[in-house]
Amino acid sequence: MSDDDVKMSQIARVLRAPVRLSASFDARVMAAVRRLPGHERLKLWARLTTPRTVTVMPLSWGLLAASVALFAVLGALHFVVDVDRAAKPIANALFPAQAKPAPQRVQFVLVAPDAKKVAVVGDFNGWDASHAGYQAQHRGGGVWSVTAPVPVGHHRYSFVVDDSVWVADPTAPRVVDNDYGVPNSAIVVPQE
Amino acid sequence: MEASSDAVVVSHVLRGDVDAFGTLVERYRDRYARYAFHMLGNREDAEEALQDAFTRAYRSLPQCEDPERFGAWLFRILVNRCRTVGARRGRRARTFVADETALLGAAEDHPAERTAWREEIDRALQQLRPDQREAFLLKYVEELGYDEMSQLTGVGVSALKMRVMRACERMRELLSEVHSV
Amino acid sequence: MTKSLRTVTALSLVARAVAAQASGAGTDPRLATRLDKPTYVAVNAIVDSARAAKLPTAPLVDKALEGAAKGSDGPKIVSAVQQLRVRMTSARAVLGTSATSDEIKAASAAFEAGVSDRDLARVKAAAGKRAVTMPLAVLTDLIGRQIEVATATNLVIQLEKSGVKDPELALFQRNVRADIDRGADPTVAAQTRARGLTQRGASTSKPSE
Repeated sequence: MSDDDVKMSQIARVLRAPVRLSASFDARVMAAVRRLPGHERLKLWARLTTPRTVTVMPLSWGLLAASVALFAVLGALHFVVDVDRAAKPIANALFPAQAKPAPQRVQFVLVAPDAKKVAVVGDFNGWDASHAGYQAQHRGGGVWSVTAPVPVGHHRYSFVVDDSVWVADPTAPRVVDNDYGVPNSAIVVPQE
Repeated sequence: MEASSDAVVVSHVLRGDVDAFGTLVERYRDRYARYAFHMLGNREDAEEALQDAFTRAYRSLPQCEDPERFGAWLFRILVNRCRTVGARRGRRARTFVADETALLGAAEDHPAERTAWREEIDRALQQLRPDQREAFLLKYVEELGYDEMSQLTGVGVSALKMRVMRACERMRELLSEVHSV
Repeated sequence: MTKSLRTVTALSLVARAVAAQASGAGTDPRLATRLDKPTYVAVNAIVDSARAAKLPTAPLVDKALEGAAKGSDGPKIVSAVQQLRVRMTSARAVLGTSATSDEIKAASAAFEAGVSDRDLARVKAAAGKRAVTMPLAVLTDLIGRQIEVATATNLVIQLEKSGVKDPELALFQRNVRADIDRGADPTVAAQTRARGLTQRGASTSKPSE
């Protein structure tokens, strides 16, 4: 340990000494907490007043029965919700927009002669390389392409080759990507 | 209830047992009081921030993803409350009053000397920039790793390292004016 | 995977989806399934605070999902999301509260490339009432192709002031890229193409609002 570390440790030891609060602290916290709506009441109110979409996934009945038992333990009365579909009502609640313009079909092309698989990933498909609609087809001569829906607006995206190599679209505007060290491209989809 | 894990206590609270929350208050208030006190420099602000953190934790308890780690989740809330209270009361009571030292745990030997030394350290601490003080306390007093600190504060590791380094430099400067540190 | 393991996995996924759903309005369920717990809690906190500040939250969620997809560790993801939030706050401060989510995203990318608040304000002023999304995307690209920030910014502002529209800006970017691919100096290529557009613009297009 360096001299500096030793000094800082000595200082820290002093600072680690316990600190006493006023005698009434606990009582004040509990008084404040008791003034808040209780959790059981909150849940009931939320259940009664929140509109929700309930979707049942095609599970086997055995699994469904087990799920119901689990939920009873958790004290919730939800059923299994399709995760991606659940995101939509949430997104709509967050951005109670303006009627959204329809996504445009955009062609993505990558020349990658040695690739076995090419997918397009971006913020329009949750960066999901396994998303069905964004798998490129090999057209011959190392040319891969897919035409897929992209919402109007500004997006970041990339190609993923063979599920492992991230390749920015050489033909598209670049974005400097300092966050994850792997390059991205940008696309601005205009409203038609 | 006292011997139960955080997760068990949290589940009791969520089922409507408000008094059970008292167990969590008792469990964590001393440790976090220390952080709040050194971060904010006076007892009143520290108690306000801590009380605030507990009430927010109670209110948001259903959102606590991992009740087994309630303490860490509560600490995150407290770090944020200290930032808010600190910013709001920036000009108040930064000076360290001798009284406050009496709140600190009893010293072993040479109480007067110890008290004076503690006062100096706390005075120096209050002269750090809030972000440096925060990083210093989390690293040296709470003994967190940089990754944990990053998750707690939302600040990148290299920025945190820089803040800790600057804080140490400043503490050395300030304390060497009084003692040969 | 054995049937019982499938069952356990499905149940835990279900529990997590329910927990994510139940944990409050606006929690994106994809985050719960793709991030580890500490990262999820930290990212959620940033998203919540952005929502409270009336910033668009989708870009923050996307940034976290991107990090997960790229195999980044939790602290890096949290840091990236936090830094994006900071950039978005600055973007909105410059562009104004009527800025669209796309403009804020494009401005955040421009900040990342090194564009200053002042330059962003100049780009915004030159655009008048038109959206700055495309001009900023082109600006970010030019900088990414090694054109100096000041030069790139002035070029884009020039194009905006000449009334060049988004489709022409997109074509400009493609042409510059093609020229660079053929070996041209990036700055020369950009200046040449911009001159072509502004000269044409000066003679044919009406000044914008």
